[in-house]
Amino acid sequence: MNVRRVAAVAFKEWREVTRDRIFLLLAFCMPAVWMFVFGYGLVLDVEHISFVVVDRDHSSLSRDYLYRFYQSRYFSFQGELADEGEADAWLKSGKARAVIIVPEKFQERLLSGQPANIQTLIDGTFPLRADITKGYTIAINNAYNVDLLADHLARTRGLSRDEALRRTRPLGLEVRYLYNEEVRSTWSTVPALIMFSLMVSSPLLTALGVVREKETGSIYNIYSATVSRMEFLVGKLVPYVMISLINVVVLWLMAVLLFAVPFKGSLLLFFASSILFILTSTGIGLTVSLLVSTQQAALIITVVVSTVPTILFSGLIVPVSSLSQAAQFQAHLFPGMYYTNIVRGTFLKNVGPAVLWPDVLALAVYAAALGAIGYRLFTKRPSV
Amino acid sequence: MRVSDRLTVWCRRIAVMTRKELLQLFRDIPLMAFLIYSFTLSVYVTGNGIQTQLKNAGLLVSDADRSVSSRELISRFHSPYFRFDGELAHPNEGFVRLDRGGSMMVLDIPTRFHEALVSGESTAVQLLVDTTNSPQGLSAAGYAARIVGQFSQELIMTRNGQTGSSSTTVPMILSDHRVWFNQDQNETWFESISHLLRMITIFAVLLPAAALVREKERGTVEQLLVSPLTPAQIMLPKVVAMTLVILGATAVALFGVMLPVFGVPIRGSVSLLFLLTALFIVATAGIGVFASTVTKNQAQVGMMTLLVVAPMLLLSGIFTPLETMPAWVRYLMALSPLRYFIEIATGILLKGIGLEMLWSQALSMLALGVSLFGFGMWRFRRQFR
Repeated sequence: MNVRRVAAVAFKEWREVTRDRIFLLLAFCMPAVWMFVFGYGLVLDVEHISFVVVDRDHSSLSRDYLYRFYQSRYFSFQGELADEGEADAWLKSGKARAVIIVPEKFQERLLSGQPANIQTLIDGTFPLRADITKGYTIAINNAYNVDLLADHLARTRGLSRDEALRRTRPLGLEVRYLYNEEVRSTWSTVPALIMFSLMVSSPLLTALGVVREKETGSIYNIYSATVSRMEFLVGKLVPYVMISLINVVVLWLMAVLLFAVPFKGSLLLFFASSILFILTSTGIGLTVSLLVSTQQAALIITVVVSTVPTILFSGLIVPVSSLSQAAQFQAHLFPGMYYTNIVRGTFLKNVGPAVLWPDVLALAVYAAALGAIGYRLFTKRPSV
Repeated sequence: MRVSDRLTVWCRRIAVMTRKELLQLFRDIPLMAFLIYSFTLSVYVTGNGIQTQLKNAGLLVSDADRSVSSRELISRFHSPYFRFDGELAHPNEGFVRLDRGGSMMVLDIPTRFHEALVSGESTAVQLLVDTTNSPQGLSAAGYAARIVGQFSQELIMTRNGQTGSSSTTVPMILSDHRVWFNQDQNETWFESISHLLRMITIFAVLLPAAALVREKERGTVEQLLVSPLTPAQIMLPKVVAMTLVILGATAVALFGVMLPVFGVPIRGSVSLLFLLTALFIVATAGIGVFASTVTKNQAQVGMMTLLVVAPMLLLSGIFTPLETMPAWVRYLMALSPLRYFIEIATGILLKGIGLEMLWSQALSMLALGVSLFGFGMWRFRRQFR
């Protein structure tokens, strides 16, 4: 490989990039804009679940019970229905996600020491939301039960209220959160967003690199030039890798300074693996570019290949361990997952190469394999 | 020329141009192969694979008591939510194992656990939770709290001399949940629908955007402009052709994968669904058309559209519920056709509702489509003056 020829190709490519002002601007803005929008916008705590109530009892106890829902920031009260029959329309139109139905004799039963059924109708179209809604209502019901029991014990056994309360909690649970002690949603999303922004933007930067020359015919200049396959491909990649390298520094700075996410691990490990990751992600773009013959196809295939697995299968939100077998297999095929482990590990966990080496190795293998595939796919003597 | 003649000519021109666009699309073999993959295999793997509820959260246990009670408590952390990852010899080992990843939490049961419970004292167990993925961590802690709460409640019953079934003499609220429209909380339904929408969005924005810019980049648009075609007759056939192709792919995904494999119900009207899907595709294509008029080459248009599409995909309520979004995101997403279409698609498929409840979403999509197209058309004409 002749360094001068590589530099010549890289310089030519760099000129092409910098002449296209809009492209250059977007190449640097896109990851930062995403980091900004998703860092502030992609909130994962489900709040304000809209609900309506049907209170058939209209007693002081039923109001007291429902008040806990009105007060909760997780729920947003939309109104009281006169009749259960109206619930259907509310749930179907999406104006309410849950309907809480207090039965007749709610107060009577509870005061006489009997259990009472609270029925909750939940809109199940979005299973995640349905599950969370269910969890919240159970939590509110359980808290209410503890109070009910304490009152009951105090009344029937003649205990003091404190003593009764103590008896209603024979077994406690002390939860300690590790790595993200205050359980801030941004702390867990922002590091993963570094992965997202790089993984989605850098393949696209490169995707059109070779296919554009094929489509416009300028590739024939390369075919007839003295530059070798390897020199051409390396030169082609250099400018895009550089852009992504600058972006990773910017993203890191945004995470630490703007979103105040602690960086506990080793900077060297983080940036070294980032370089590997950038090589793999630009490599994906290059490979697509070599496989197709139109820029349109290159664009769409790259967007789908980079965006979809990154959103779904790289641990951004859904952890890889809770995927199905087939999806886990797919997750392991994409580099995003490994880099997510490294990013979260270095940011929040302060773990080093001793723990993260399999992920770093996977990225290295990935980068090498893509390089080899690209080399095999590119030929200076096309059959057509 | 009579009006009817003009109309025939107009329609014929559109038809001819649409045919040209379709031919051009079908000739791109890699692109077509990828389109088929995206609407079949990809829908299958995603629908089947994504589980947003807590599942298989790895649990390590440090049981210092080794009694009936401690074993009973541990056994309640079961699948599908939890996965038992083994016992720890020493409590401190937990930190090392969590550092390494794989397991998500450590349950620490103190000595004298059983003794305390039997003798009527109170005791507590400790749970260490990895919150590098905060929603999952919170969810796991929530389930653990439920399990411990239930365990605790049963204990009170036993202590008060009531065993098992005769809980009837304690005042308490029994939670009775009915999940509507999807009784079994089958996640494949929603995940496959949302994935289909994701694919439609990507293709609907990028296909026309790239096709329009390509003509500009290659200069073939000049040829079209000197032909008797009006700008509308150049632009519309592209959108019509892409819409037809995407609608066909949607039908394949729906009738080839989602219905037979996942059993997704169609409780509403199929024709309404496809009509509104066409409207959605056209409205979304408006974004691509608009982007194509402000850019000069395909690289630019690719970046420009992706800049917009990524937030649409993540924040329109197909990935996380819209309720979770901060207010400014919800206002911003009023501009995303996908935000309305997810309600339409789940509404027609799962809830079986029709236009009487979906008219506002349909109108919003229509308004967005018309304004994006109007603007795109205006820019398209202007740039060639």
